[in-house]
Amino acid sequence: MEPNLGTIARSISIRPNREETGLESLQFREEIHRLMIVPPENGSSFTALLELPETQAMELLHSPHSDKGVTVPLSGVPLHGINDDHKSYLPSFNGNLTFPSNKVLIERAAKFSVFASGEHSPETSSVPSDSSANLEKVKSEPADTDSNPNSSQLLVSDPTVNIKNQRSEKRKEREKKGKGCTKKTKIEISQDAEKLPYVHVRARRGQATDSHSLAERARREKINARMKLLQELVPGCSKISGTALVLDEIINHVQSLQRQVELLSMRLASVNPRIDFNLDSLFAPESGSLVDSNFSSMVSPLLWPEIPFNGNRQQHQQQWNFDALHRPLWGREEDSHTFITMENSLLSYDSANSASLHSNQLKMEL
Amino acid sequence: MNPKRFSSSTWPSTTVKSRFTCGFLRALWRINRQRRTTSASSREIRRRYLRVKVAADVSMASAVGSRRAWSRAILLRKIRNQGQNGTVRVRRMSNILGMMRKRNIRGNYKCTEEVGTCQAEQLRKLVPGGEEMDMCNLLGETAHYIECLTTQGSAC
Repeated sequence: MEPNLGTIARSISIRPNREETGLESLQFREEIHRLMIVPPENGSSFTALLELPETQAMELLHSPHSDKGVTVPLSGVPLHGINDDHKSYLPSFNGNLTFPSNKVLIERAAKFSVFASGEHSPETSSVPSDSSANLEKVKSEPADTDSNPNSSQLLVSDPTVNIKNQRSEKRKEREKKGKGCTKKTKIEISQDAEKLPYVHVRARRGQATDSHSLAERARREKINARMKLLQELVPGCSKISGTALVLDEIINHVQSLQRQVELLSMRLASVNPRIDFNLDSLFAPESGSLVDSNFSSMVSPLLWPEIPFNGNRQQHQQQWNFDALHRPLWGREEDSHTFITMENSLLSYDSANSASLHSNQLKMEL
Repeated sequence: MNPKRFSSSTWPSTTVKSRFTCGFLRALWRINRQRRTTSASSREIRRRYLRVKVAADVSMASAVGSRRAWSRAILLRKIRNQGQNGTVRVRRMSNILGMMRKRNIRGNYKCTEEVGTCQAEQLRKLVPGGEEMDMCNLLGETAHYIECLTTQGSAC
């Protein structure tokens, strides 16, 4: 018996190494059937099977995954299968086969109340239904936890679950079951902390559990969250309901901000010749003065928010408007130092756009 | 940087703002130095305006850094334009391209069309670099872009 087990274990361990691409499922089935045949033949319990493959297979394969194979036998299966290459399926799967300790499985079964409710007799019926319903269930928990005495059933259901896992390769989410297992309780399973880039989505009652719809739902939730952020940013958007109108508001806001910046830069461009001063002196009090100049600057954009910028043709027209509006501001800023005020006014708000006017005013100020 | 010493209270906004103001003023100074004539010709002013606008955008983008897709797009655009003029900053370009390659693997994933597409197109046109982004990233970029536009406007 023991040599048989050893050979079988070795064959199992060897074969998976060969295939690393998609045919593990079939190999699994074969190995599992072989394994299934062995215990009934020998009549020994599965524990005997455990000892040998555990030591040998673990040694052979489990070099990187030994820990996971031992400690997390159940969740290791789907985790590895999706995370790493398919190679990782096999060691972890072998870890399942080996069942290092049934007690661990029992504890896990106790943890997941879903399976605690399931007795062993209806397991065969419930496990396949569960696996079929759990297209998204990466963790083959039902199969795993039910396996304690019914190893054969576990072995049968595991490959099916694994196959399904492999099929849905593009895993974005794991479904936390709230619905889908009609025969079991509707308690949601808490997933272990997996460091996977998956989005965990709770499938609520009455919602589709299809992978596509789950992905769409996750995306929709992301988009809605960002829309809420944007609504808070844009003033006056929080009252509007409906994405289309909110988006319109956001677009308007962005356009107005861009126009503001354009206008300011245009003014700066025309005022440019005045930047001849010592920039060091400018930089030092700049932070404080900027705050002061903010108020005056914010006033002016509000005064003429909708002036269309049609190029320089209208610039001369605008100059005179600006002059009329900004003389009072200009006068206000003359209170402080000349250097700083000039820079402030340059930065905050320029009255005239033409260079000639600027030069005149410069002379006036100096 | 002197302004950073004076920055107080909220750490990130003041540094972005101060960085932007420094870079912007430096760019303005450079532009001003390039001016040969104090002509009031409309074309000259227009050209200077465009340069100032680009300087504002670029200084804003550099203040933000390469963390955001829109800032990367602006910087790349500037580098491409510079490349046309003959001056290519290879180091920066490689940095930014590396960043873009890393991030845009996710960014190029087209989202399903759920919300009004015409508005999405409009947003994409407005936000620099928004052409190749999916909806969720686009919204995030828009939010950050609005923030930075407000700091730009308030700093000037």
